[in-house]
Amino acid sequence: MNTHTVPIGLVPGPVHDRLEALSRAKSWMGWAGYISPAVLETAEFEYFAIRNQTTLFDISPMHKYRITGPGAEAMLNRMVIRDVTRIAPGRVGYVMWCDQDGMVIDDGTLFRLGDADFRLCCQELMYSWLLDAGWGFDVQIIDESHRVAGLSLQGPTSWSLLKEAGLDLGDMKPFDCRQVEPGLMISRTGFTGDLGYELWTGWDGAGALWDRLWAAGRNWGLRAIGYVALNIARIEAGFIAAGMEFQPVHAARRLHRGRTPIELGFGRMVHWDKGHFNGRRALLGQLGKGSRYSLVKVDIAGFKPAHGALIYHRKRREVGYVTSGVWSPTTKRNIALAELKAPYGTTRTDDLWVELYVNEEGRWDRRMLPLTIQDKPFFINPRARATPPGPF
Amino acid sequence: MSGVFDAVVIGAGHNGLAAAATLARAGMRVLVVERAKTVGGMAKTVDWGAGAKGPEIAHLLYNLSPAVTRDLKLSLDTRSLPTIALSPDGAHAVMDGASLIFAAGGMHPQAADYAALHERLCRFAAFLGQLSDKPPPSLAGGLASLRDIGGMARLGLGLKRMGKADMREFLRVILSNAHDLILDELPDGPIAGALAADAVRGVWAGPRGPGSVFTLLYRMGQGGGAALPIGGIGAVTDALARAATTAGAELRFGAGVASVEVEADTVRGVTLEDGTKIAATAVLSSLAPLPSLHLAGAAHFDVETTRRARKVRAKGTVAKLNIVLKSAPDIPGLTDAQTAGRLIVAPSAAYVESAFNPVKYGAVSKHPVIEAVIPSLTDPSLCDGDRQVLSAVVQYVPHTPEGGWTDAGRAALTRRIIDTLAAYMPGLPELIEGKTLLTPADIEHLTGAPGGHWHHAEMSIDQLLTVRPMNGMARYAFGVSGLYLCGASAHPGGDVTGSPGPNAARRLLQERSA
Repeated sequence: MNTHTVPIGLVPGPVHDRLEALSRAKSWMGWAGYISPAVLETAEFEYFAIRNQTTLFDISPMHKYRITGPGAEAMLNRMVIRDVTRIAPGRVGYVMWCDQDGMVIDDGTLFRLGDADFRLCCQELMYSWLLDAGWGFDVQIIDESHRVAGLSLQGPTSWSLLKEAGLDLGDMKPFDCRQVEPGLMISRTGFTGDLGYELWTGWDGAGALWDRLWAAGRNWGLRAIGYVALNIARIEAGFIAAGMEFQPVHAARRLHRGRTPIELGFGRMVHWDKGHFNGRRALLGQLGKGSRYSLVKVDIAGFKPAHGALIYHRKRREVGYVTSGVWSPTTKRNIALAELKAPYGTTRTDDLWVELYVNEEGRWDRRMLPLTIQDKPFFINPRARATPPGPF
Repeated sequence: MSGVFDAVVIGAGHNGLAAAATLARAGMRVLVVERAKTVGGMAKTVDWGAGAKGPEIAHLLYNLSPAVTRDLKLSLDTRSLPTIALSPDGAHAVMDGASLIFAAGGMHPQAADYAALHERLCRFAAFLGQLSDKPPPSLAGGLASLRDIGGMARLGLGLKRMGKADMREFLRVILSNAHDLILDELPDGPIAGALAADAVRGVWAGPRGPGSVFTLLYRMGQGGGAALPIGGIGAVTDALARAATTAGAELRFGAGVASVEVEADTVRGVTLEDGTKIAATAVLSSLAPLPSLHLAGAAHFDVETTRRARKVRAKGTVAKLNIVLKSAPDIPGLTDAQTAGRLIVAPSAAYVESAFNPVKYGAVSKHPVIEAVIPSLTDPSLCDGDRQVLSAVVQYVPHTPEGGWTDAGRAALTRRIIDTLAAYMPGLPELIEGKTLLTPADIEHLTGAPGGHWHHAEMSIDQLLTVRPMNGMARYAFGVSGLYLCGASAHPGGDVTGSPGPNAARRLLQERSA
């Protein structure tokens, strides 16, 4: 193969040959330039495997950045909205970071590997931003996106599966991370709201790791999954996704498309008293003036997923839209995340309607369906947080 | 250390002092801390020894704000100097206000065209000049407050009042280049050259560069021309220092600031290089954005602010040669009174543009543009006996030439300047008793101005008005609550105008009274 050829189009990820062999649906999608499965067999099988067995999903296309050096903690603390000093080594924190106007640039997970050693995992390209954010601090920033591969092992039997694979992590609490073997780090994190782990290894070691898990998974119902099933689980868990619930502000080309952490429902995650952080002054201003929007969890009548539907007050005034909507197979509800313009969703929460179009055997009909705002995630199960996890 | 100051001003240059005086007059307890041993910054009269004193860096006033002089009750004795456009053929011309004559007497053929151009430029400059003594119009939040709308409305009204033809012409030329504007009216030669040189003095641009009309008008904001303060340029900063101390401000010298102390996103004071801590509820920095930012620490600013501060363009192009002379040089073709004028070596606009070319590649102009003045002819108190001081502002000289400054490089530059002057002052080399060259790097070292730039930040359209010195920081407040920029990098900009300081001070007073 001519190594000088620049690949055109999507490129295979580190476990693509395994995925290719498993794919019956041949339903692929692009993720950060990699070929990523949307569905491998059927989305339903895959979804139920998340909630009842264990699933494997390649998350290597995530962007990963290593931030090290004596100034790493201070630099990240100035960048993200929460207090990084409260994330101990061996812990993972969910973080968001904003531009100077308080608009969310991206969110991600921050792994504290040591006192002065962090890894940031996120959806958007962030290298140049990190270099800017690192200026003035004694830090080194390395783009590890193509060096570190990640496999997400999610589902109630995942702990048992790992034990069978020779990795006993019974004492690992949610958001713990640790080096379990040379070249293998595991964190108890995930995007499903269920028991699960993420395994991080070198790019070239991902295939062997996949095989090891696959071999151990026989008795635990292990199934490889694609994005569609994962997306149902993450909406059930109430997790937001970049490009869906918010538009990463650096990628947005239009004015006023950015949203603040407060508007996305993360006001309580902002640590105001930790000193300056990017966008703090603007966010303080918003505390005074009030939010323009609020992101809410909603339950919609009927069973048709309302993804993208407009939301009305009193069936007349347009006040928002559904950012992500699915039928939730576990809770048997028509659930969604939705953005509402203030004051709807905060002080005015009644008489809200979703506009849906339904096709009944060739005849289209417009339906106004009532929605109710929920304050808790749709899927909550104590097994997700139990330590040690149950041997399901 | 005694109690808490209402404000600490960093730097006793003219802007720092004007800010301090404004604050002290409003009843604030103010301390000015200055790294050097005396006031002045870039506007200093220094003793060159051998019984001669003269300006160190800046030497003339072009556009000192009358509002500042009035508000701070400065008593300044200044002499207006005519501009002498030196001509290689000896037919020097005298430009004084709108009048243009040959130095030898007699009508200048370009007199009428020059008068018309000068009058038009002054009208435009006056319009711009009114923007100088207040903060730039704010566009943040889409003209949120009535005051913002009022400011913009007045600006629009002022523009309308010019009349349709002038308004059109103003808008046509304001972002364009001085070279075309001047040569539309005048043939290229010493008159055009002198105007072109005025347009680009202190900036990184040639007269063909876009925005050079703006810098020309900026300099003509108070009617054009140049004035020499009696006692040297240092008399201006001395007067400002007096205004500040009379109003109760304290001045502390040899007091470089090591850091600005910040707590809970609010300024708490400064720590001096010797470790002394001074508590204050506000700090006004007359330094450029980046050094000011360094004092507080990057952690206290947004990422975008640090990026913009790093990218502020400030490449100095001006060297200074100060010469002590045994006696006044003879300039064939000029009377003694004319010799005391503002002498411009810029035989044509094309000459000025050509002089700019080498500096782009890190080299010194082969044929430099020079503004020279012999202040001791107007103000004999500067020198003993027959001695005179010649002060030359020389363009274009890079901050650091390729390979760095060497003794040979400095000597070659000095020789080139003297040779250029000697073409008009044949006896000059023999009269020289002493000389001091200041390259842009030296000026940076002396004053802390980034790049040794006259204006701390390039006066180009992307760093002016609502974006001076940078986007989001145009109205003096500098991120941290209680921290302000009050130097030449802030609106309206450089030259000894006295405007940025009081503007910043008023912003602080306004916030305190709100």
